[in-house]
Amino acid sequence: MGVEKYAEKLDDYFERLEDGKAKKIKPSHVLRVISKLKKKAEKLNEEIEVTEKESKKDRLKRKVLIAREHIKRAELLLDKITPAVK
Amino acid sequence: MKKYSLPVAIGVLIVGFWLSPDFQQIAAGVAIFLFGMLMLEDGFKLFGGGFLESILERATSTIPRSLGFGIVTTTILQSSSLVSVITISFLSAGLISLLAGVGIIFGANIGTTTGAWLVAGFGLKVNISTYAMPMLAISIILVFQKSKYLRGVGFALAGLGFLFLGIHHMKEGFDTFKDQFDLTRFAMTGLLGLVVYTAVGMTATVVMQSSHATMVLIITALAAGQISYENALALAIGANVGTTITAIIGSLTANFQGKRLALAHLIFNLLTAGVALVFISPLREAVDWISAGVGIPDNDFALKLAVFHTIFNSLGVVLMLPALRVLIRFLERTITEPELDLSKPKYLSEAVDEFPQTIEIALRKEVKHLYDNAVELITHGLNIHRHDLFATKDIAKTIAKSRTEIEFDIDEKYEHRIKTIYAAIVEFSTRAGSKNLPQDVMDRIYVLRDVAGQVVRAVKAVKHLRRNTSIYTSRSSGASSVLYNGLRTEIGRILAEVHRLDQADPDDRSQLWLDEEAAQVETDSVNSIRVVEELIREGRLEPDAATSFLNDSGYGYSAMRNLLGAARAYYIQPDSAMAEVERILALDEDEVEEVVSDVVSAESPTS
Repeated sequence: MGVEKYAEKLDDYFERLEDGKAKKIKPSHVLRVISKLKKKAEKLNEEIEVTEKESKKDRLKRKVLIAREHIKRAELLLDKITPAVK
Repeated sequence: MKKYSLPVAIGVLIVGFWLSPDFQQIAAGVAIFLFGMLMLEDGFKLFGGGFLESILERATSTIPRSLGFGIVTTTILQSSSLVSVITISFLSAGLISLLAGVGIIFGANIGTTTGAWLVAGFGLKVNISTYAMPMLAISIILVFQKSKYLRGVGFALAGLGFLFLGIHHMKEGFDTFKDQFDLTRFAMTGLLGLVVYTAVGMTATVVMQSSHATMVLIITALAAGQISYENALALAIGANVGTTITAIIGSLTANFQGKRLALAHLIFNLLTAGVALVFISPLREAVDWISAGVGIPDNDFALKLAVFHTIFNSLGVVLMLPALRVLIRFLERTITEPELDLSKPKYLSEAVDEFPQTIEIALRKEVKHLYDNAVELITHGLNIHRHDLFATKDIAKTIAKSRTEIEFDIDEKYEHRIKTIYAAIVEFSTRAGSKNLPQDVMDRIYVLRDVAGQVVRAVKAVKHLRRNTSIYTSRSSGASSVLYNGLRTEIGRILAEVHRLDQADPDDRSQLWLDEEAAQVETDSVNSIRVVEELIREGRLEPDAATSFLNDSGYGYSAMRNLLGAARAYYIQPDSAMAEVERILALDEDEVEEVVSDVVSAESPTS
């Protein structure tokens, strides 16, 4: 799946960080966002379990997919900003 | 009265200067002292960029905390007036409770006594100007630095330096003044002296707007032997009453809560002064006893005055604390909350203008107020009841059932509940722009102003929709009813999703939740055109009705985009690093569709 826009946003962030126009993202910041997204995905899954209407179920499933994609990208971001252990 | 006060004050000064050159030194000392207080205030504003305010918010959860906060901040800032003005500002912005506000004012009254100790214990004992000079010299280097924190430290240091210099000049002035004039000739004893000097202390504080400056003046005059100890006690009591004027002036532009706090301040200080005047003799004895106990010489009246100042302010707090809740009830009864007028801004007032944090928070709350009004107009405009919408598990079904037109004049409601508040928000944020606020605060203020703009545009779009929506959804009109109900459902879904975001725990929510909704809006927008074209081809929709719907759906999708844009900006993480994370992770419409179609194609069986 193409992540060009994600890469562009990341480049833009690092540029702004270098110019002192953005606040430095620490691993803890990303971890907090991941935790929020995981909680949301869990809640959506619970909602899917009790939903009967098919159209609503489909919509909720779409939301879960998006949340998972957010989490995936957040994990990539976490790798990118976490200093490598030598 | 007001127009004569300035010429009278200048006239008195000129006559004073003419009568005695040493009076110039005393007056200049007071001026330098007050200037120092202003610089100290500016320094803390810059240094903090909201730090004081954010502490205030956290440190006022209980009465002892509020009290402690009042003591500590007044000790640091050396100005109870400044602390009371900040407190009024925070109360008006709805950041702290009245109980916490009154607690801070009580604490400030104890904190202000540290000034007397500073002057009596330190200012008179050493050559204070020797400390002031290096402070001023270093401060000016810091003031010219780029970093706002260094500039803040520079201003605070300069403020302290000027305070010291002011004290020095007052001290010098009184020392030489006593050789020319003997002010003790005006000393009065007994009840008359008590009343007259209390009134003098009160007037001096009202004129100088600082009980601190009055106390310094009293202590330096007392140390120079220019006033009697007895009269100095009365002057100190008067200064405590006079200091409430700053809070009273500050409350004039505040809301009812700010006014309640100013009244609490006045009641507390009047009551404390009354008790001190009635029990002046036992208080004097207590001062002598404590002074002897801690080793203060019997003839060191300056230090004894500091002891007195501390005792009578602490006594006031001890007496008033048990009655705090009674006082709160009295304040709430005396100054009643005005009836809620949804057409007026609730949080924006000049009283919250002073501090970066209150400006931002008040604006944030006002934008939410505007949004709540907008939700009412949008839902009623589409003949839906908000409570039904937010409670249902099947939005489409609930909306399809809402077929009764809600009678109201949407244009009139728009004028009163949206436009007036939006105008106040624009005016307030423009005013904030001229206040030299930190750039990050200013950026967030402009974001909030833009959020308000998006909310207004959403309401305007729904205004255009209302007529046809009512026509086609109040009775069955075939395909048109289905189309308009679909549009109502989509708008309702966005409102419900934003409501869900708003109701979520702030630690759990993320504006990323809205990515899918935003993409869905774009997909639905394109699909709606296809659906209309198909209905025309099938002969189920007249071309006239089709064009009406296409126009209206344009308004509908515009409302949805504006509502989502507003919510995404409003609920972005307050921590700017977390907001950066969200910005990087956010998916646009194409990315959302790509994610969904990739998964669908991966799951579909290969032929």
